[in-house]
Amino acid sequence: MAMYVYGIIDSNDKIDAFVTGLDGVGVYNIPYRDIGALASDLDTPVRDTDEERVLEHETVLEKMIECFTVLPMRFLTVFNEKNNVISMLNEHYNDFREDLDRLHDKTEFGIKVIWPGAVIREKIANAYSKAQVSVPSPDDSPGKSFVKKKFETYKINKEFEEEADRRIAVIDNFFNRNVCEKKLERLKTENMLLNASYLVDNEKQNDFKKAFEEMRAFAGDLKYLFSGPWPPYNFVTKTNTRHDRE
Amino acid sequence: MSKIVETNAIDAFFEETEKLQKALPKKIDANPQNVEAGLAKLVLTLIELIRKLMEKQAMRRVEAGSLSEEEIERIGETLMKLENKMKELKGVFGVKDEELNINLGPLGDLM
Repeated sequence: MAMYVYGIIDSNDKIDAFVTGLDGVGVYNIPYRDIGALASDLDTPVRDTDEERVLEHETVLEKMIECFTVLPMRFLTVFNEKNNVISMLNEHYNDFREDLDRLHDKTEFGIKVIWPGAVIREKIANAYSKAQVSVPSPDDSPGKSFVKKKFETYKINKEFEEEADRRIAVIDNFFNRNVCEKKLERLKTENMLLNASYLVDNEKQNDFKKAFEEMRAFAGDLKYLFSGPWPPYNFVTKTNTRHDRE
Repeated sequence: MSKIVETNAIDAFFEETEKLQKALPKKIDANPQNVEAGLAKLVLTLIELIRKLMEKQAMRRVEAGSLSEEEIERIGETLMKLENKMKELKGVFGVKDEELNINLGPLGDLM
């Protein structure tokens, strides 16, 4: 029978509580040495990402982080049979063990920040235009006019990115002292100033939340989305288990 | 500890997330009929990347003041011709600007 694997945990014990996984069937632990794989049986193949199943996957991980250190597996991780799961655990045991130790008693928080990108870009463009750094002249050759036009765009983009870096540094400064690791993504869209994931020691969760309260008071024209604690999705070392799968 | 989700602008985050999702196709639409278009898109993406890198490098040199007037003119003309040629090729293969991107997983988007 095929098996759906949700994650790797730092325990080879049976799971005491009844936790339902995909299609409402029970989740169990497949032990290997001192770790285990959280799995449930799968009657029908799962090929597509649908919202309901993603939530089921997430719910299992959420319940499990209350009892164990969990390395979340990618959604749609399916194995043909139990032996393949054990082979995967055997092959990647050292990586899993290292990550489980590193992520023990830690959880992930996310903060996304939107800024008024278009307004800021316009301000920069206006300031650039007033400064008349690169004024087109009727005597310019087509090549030179082209460079002047491109140079203006280049300078505006550069100033825009520098302004983004300055604001990100201020935001990050609120959280930085309470985190073990962080991943910051800048300007995924013109308005998405920051998409940050922070790995926080469980003991420091309250301090981290206080830091968010401080940041919120400072937010001004920034829009924020704060969430957590999450399983440490963004801090698991990427391990290629794909070749073992169905 | 129970989950916290706090925001002061949920609609704005939905909007930005939608923008991100639209930028990248959910699935690769590959079949024998569109294989040429797919290949053209890939090649144009790589050319566009190289063109943008060249342009950026040229702008850095302009900024640093390391180019003579003659060199600026020559580079300007080259970049202009490259840009026009790309516009032409995009038209031929029916590829839009926003399609010229590839997601490189953990490395992020190509452009």
